[in-house]
Amino acid sequence: MKDVACRLERVTKRFGPKTAVDGVTLSIAKGSAYGLIGPNGAGKTTTFSMLAGYLRPTEGAVEVLGLKPDAVDRLRARLGVLPQDALLPASESVGDFLVHMARLQNIPQLKVRESVELALEEVDGKGWWSQRCGSLSHGMAKRIALAQAFLGEPELVLLDEPTAGLDPKVAFETRQLILAKKGRCTIVVSSHNLQELEEICDAAAILDRGRVVASGSMTDLTAANEEVRIKVAPGTSRGSQQGQVPVHKLRELPLIKSVDLDEERLEIVVYFERKSADAETVIGLVLWELLTNKVRISGVSKGRGLEQRMMDLT
Amino acid sequence: MSPTTEIRILVGRELRRGVRSTKGIAIGVLTLLGAFVAALACVQIERTDRLAAEATSTATYVELKRAAIEHATGDAALAAYIASVPSSLLVFLKITVWFLPLLVALLGFDAVTGDLQNRGVRFWTVRVRRSSYLVGKFLGLWWLVSLVTFVIDLVADVVAITRGYATFAEALGWGLRFWLVAVVIAAAWASIATFVSASYRTPMLSLLTTFAVFFVLWLFGLGGFLARVRDTVAGGVGTMARGMIWYEYLYPNAYDTMLVSPSGERAAIAVAILLGFSAALTAAGAVLFARRDL
Repeated sequence: MKDVACRLERVTKRFGPKTAVDGVTLSIAKGSAYGLIGPNGAGKTTTFSMLAGYLRPTEGAVEVLGLKPDAVDRLRARLGVLPQDALLPASESVGDFLVHMARLQNIPQLKVRESVELALEEVDGKGWWSQRCGSLSHGMAKRIALAQAFLGEPELVLLDEPTAGLDPKVAFETRQLILAKKGRCTIVVSSHNLQELEEICDAAAILDRGRVVASGSMTDLTAANEEVRIKVAPGTSRGSQQGQVPVHKLRELPLIKSVDLDEERLEIVVYFERKSADAETVIGLVLWELLTNKVRISGVSKGRGLEQRMMDLT
Repeated sequence: MSPTTEIRILVGRELRRGVRSTKGIAIGVLTLLGAFVAALACVQIERTDRLAAEATSTATYVELKRAAIEHATGDAALAAYIASVPSSLLVFLKITVWFLPLLVALLGFDAVTGDLQNRGVRFWTVRVRRSSYLVGKFLGLWWLVSLVTFVIDLVADVVAITRGYATFAEALGWGLRFWLVAVVIAAAWASIATFVSASYRTPMLSLLTTFAVFFVLWLFGLGGFLARVRDTVAGGVGTMARGMIWYEYLYPNAYDTMLVSPSGERAAIAVAILLGFSAALTAAGAVLFARRDL
């Protein structure tokens, strides 16, 4: 339990007759970046809110850093949260808001300003100190909310939809910021953006209708350690002539368990034994064979991608 | 960090926010304008009153007032005690106390519900105990209202002094006493407004409920007052000096006469009831708030 940052044990949350989360059990390792994935209504935000202490579970137990989420005094400054749809106080200045947050985190009075300035610098908001929160754009407000979540270097940071509604440039910068924090604290991200989660997270849980339908490391979830997918150019077909996919030859390659060609999707799926080879070796072998046969290749990926995985499961 | 420190930081923020926000500034300006106009009106009433009583000096006027109050209430001690209070200050106390619920409702209806609606409360509750948050909101509202009534009283005192109806010492003594009366009564109203505000997610519902609750309490006060007037008419003068009817105790403003009473015991009982009620309601609100989903 020492290495566990968050734990949910058979947690259920009901809102009247509706069950939003149904018997979820999860364990999130300290220092990891963990994703909560699922379609709308899957129970991501409800699970997130129970971890942050906003909601109380109807049944089951939630632990955050070994404590109940409502043990605010003992979690103070150790837990940072970016709530999805919380608005900043419109009439307050950015500086005042963050200073209050810092003071409530017990940051020593002399270091409050320094900590806030550092947090603002990290979100590229150095000149925003005296701006009213109500006058900030959506992207700026999101960054300030992110700054308060990472203020004072907490051990665990919960981020609910950190890039929702942001333009691609700001979303990219936000991802870079989160990636820069990775390894310095445990990060739990709830998001719809599967590419983002694939990029940020080491492990994840896929939720559907309030239940965990799959969980594990990102490599396991995407099957990145047991299959590779190769996209071929339009018009490519199965066969042994030049420019065609020699499926039989590929199946005879060492380390390969099986090979499928989906002619509709123009995709070759190669399955291999995870214990005897890694994806990179298999990609090398297969590409060599395909290129020898002058097959035109559009793209290569490890595993089936989180998106495909989620579509299969939900 | 202790709950006291959390509350101190939250109250400081609430006060700063109250005086800087558009709503706070608008209410402050309107209150001051209203206070100034009301102060002038009160002084005019006192002047007319003196002329009608043909009182040549303040001493004569005070004696006439003492006799009138004693005749009306049958309470010689109370009459002697408040006769020296400049009428303008006394009327002003009544006006301030009368408007307290309105001021509290307007300043406090969205104290918590606003943060619940826009979920801003979620930034705070990972850093402060929920009970501290609610107590901070209550104290912030109470002290903000107290600050506004202090300024109102100051206006009344200045007008009374400049018109020569009160000496500096009288204005300071009675002004401070009346302000404290308003402060104690404001605690009860503020605790009700905070409790209601923490029970809703929609500010409009909170505002309507706050007004509805305040109106019902006012009806209790009005009913009790009318019943006592009826008893006085039937039983003659003197019966007015008796205690309040039980349901009048539900109306915080009804304690103003107890709070200005010459009897320290009566004033202390009123303070204990009002502050005890405020503390109990805030504690109940804090317990409910700690258990609810945000």
